[in-house]
Amino acid sequence: MSLAATYKLGARLFWRDKAMLAGSVITPVGLTVGMPLLMRHVQADGVAWATQTFYGSTALVLSITGFMNIAVALSMRRDQLVLKRLRSTMLTDGQILAGEIASTVTQTVALVVGCLVAVRFVADVPFPDNPVVFVAATLGGAVCVAVLGAAYTAAIPRAELAAAMTVPVFLVCGVGAGAMGPLLDLLPSWVRSVFDLLPTSAAVHAMKTGEFAAPALNLALWTLAGLVAIRLWFRWEPRRS
Amino acid sequence: MTAIQVSGLVKRYGAFEAVKGVSFEVAEGEIFALLGRNGAGKTTTVEVLAGFQRPDEGTVRVLGLDPAGQRGEARRRTGVMLQEAGFFPDLTVARTVDTWRDFTAAARPRDEALRLAGLAHKAGTKVRQLSGGEKRRLDLALATLGRPEVLFLDEPTTGMDPEARRDTWELVRGLAADGATVLLTTHYLEEAQRLASSLAILDGGAIVAAGGMAETLAAQSGRVAFRMPPGVAPDELPLPVTLEGELAVCRAEDPDLAAQTLLSWAAGRGLRLTGLDVRAATLEDLFLDRSTS
Ligand SMILES: Nc1ncnc2c1ncn2[C@@H]1O[C@H](COP(=O)(O)OP(=O)(O)OP(=O)(O)O)[C@@H](O)[C@H]1O
Ligand SMILES: [Mg+2]
Repeated sequence: MSLAATYKLGARLFWRDKAMLAGSVITPVGLTVGMPLLMRHVQADGVAWATQTFYGSTALVLSITGFMNIAVALSMRRDQLVLKRLRSTMLTDGQILAGEIASTVTQTVALVVGCLVAVRFVADVPFPDNPVVFVAATLGGAVCVAVLGAAYTAAIPRAELAAAMTVPVFLVCGVGAGAMGPLLDLLPSWVRSVFDLLPTSAAVHAMKTGEFAAPALNLALWTLAGLVAIRLWFRWEPRRS
Repeated sequence: MTAIQVSGLVKRYGAFEAVKGVSFEVAEGEIFALLGRNGAGKTTTVEVLAGFQRPDEGTVRVLGLDPAGQRGEARRRTGVMLQEAGFFPDLTVARTVDTWRDFTAAARPRDEALRLAGLAHKAGTKVRQLSGGEKRRLDLALATLGRPEVLFLDEPTTGMDPEARRDTWELVRGLAADGATVLLTTHYLEEAQRLASSLAILDGGAIVAAGGMAETLAAQSGRVAFRMPPGVAPDELPLPVTLEGELAVCRAEDPDLAAQTLLSWAAGRGLRLTGLDVRAATLEDLFLDRSTS
């Protein structure tokens, strides 16, 4: 009952916050639909390019709508002492975070699937060969980045810095998964192999190829690391020293 | 039955000891006032009792539970109004209460909660548009939503207008009459005196006075004050006085008797004692007497 309540609260707050919506929905959706559309029309081999760019860009949805959104929301609520107030209710710490993570995950998955449908029609990007793996990888990736985003708040000293501090994360995730088109191919190979270890890269790889085992292991390990970090370092109240 | 038990509580922030070995008990159904100057350690004590912080030394029990170790169970049965906590600014008052009702077992109906807190007319207002006192009322509505067995109120009436304060007292008395145990902090000593049946005064993290309200006040001297008659030196008076400006102030366990003594002395000399003011000890006297600046 209480997890449902925090889930509902997280969703309600998300769709109500217009400024946040602009940043965490319009930007990634614009890129994820817009870039493939552009590629489709400027490149000779348009559909292949559009497909490539679309899958890369889903890493942006994961890292902006998933990671950045939860990191900003949680650090703001921490600094405004809202998390503290929530903790004065019957909710357990786990329910508070799980509700927030679950609502972030829903939004992220909905956007990725929405973008998939959109690019099918505007840029002729074919539906994935294995839709089950696509959805599972989206879900797994979304859970993973939301957990990591919650853990990341421990490193954010003040809420004003939250958005700025997540920029490098989504740049790296975006480039690493190929969202910036050919940019990835210009990088030295060791950088590329490091990028391949990112959870967003693993999720995108699974979505694109339908391969499941290795990406699932990658996501599970990152998620576990995030949970451990939350346990060790998550701060419910602003720093006072 | 003891509802709240604190023994030898020590709480440090780094090297600074904010609470230095505090012990007290609150019986079930009692209203207990925790008083003290700014920085005395009230909020720290409340936060330990509410399970937000763990004691560095000593033990606390609320309904027999360890509030930090058994937080889930303890929170189900307690309500907390923190001195400082945030709201979701974009939710309306009604939405906020509805949201909290989702988290609260056996919660009051929304309209009842709003009415009790005097917020019915603000139901549709966004929380960010509320005044300071209105926010405090909403705070109170949320803390009392689940009819808790133990209620912690950290400066519940700060910023409230006189009427809202009176409403709050009624609400708190009603909850206590229904069996709830209430621990509150306040800087309004008159409020504590009216509401609480027992108290502790903290000073610099230690208790300097504690006990039942009536007994503690009875043990404190009352006060007789009058304007010093012209041409009379203080040592001519039959009782020792201290001078506060042109007022002579005499502290006495039985202020009525002291007043009679002073009046008959004055009558014998053909003097009039003007500005005479006789009163039993107030909590404020006790407070100023015990807590050091
Ligand atoms: N997180 C903290 N870090 C360091 N010192 C703190 C912290 N919280 C409180 N203190 C210090 O501990 C002391 C007690 O603080 P506390 O908030 O318990 O006082 P209080 O009695 O509630 O005061 P007030 O009446 O002003 O609310 C103060 O001197 C305060 O500066
Ligand atoms: Mg305080």
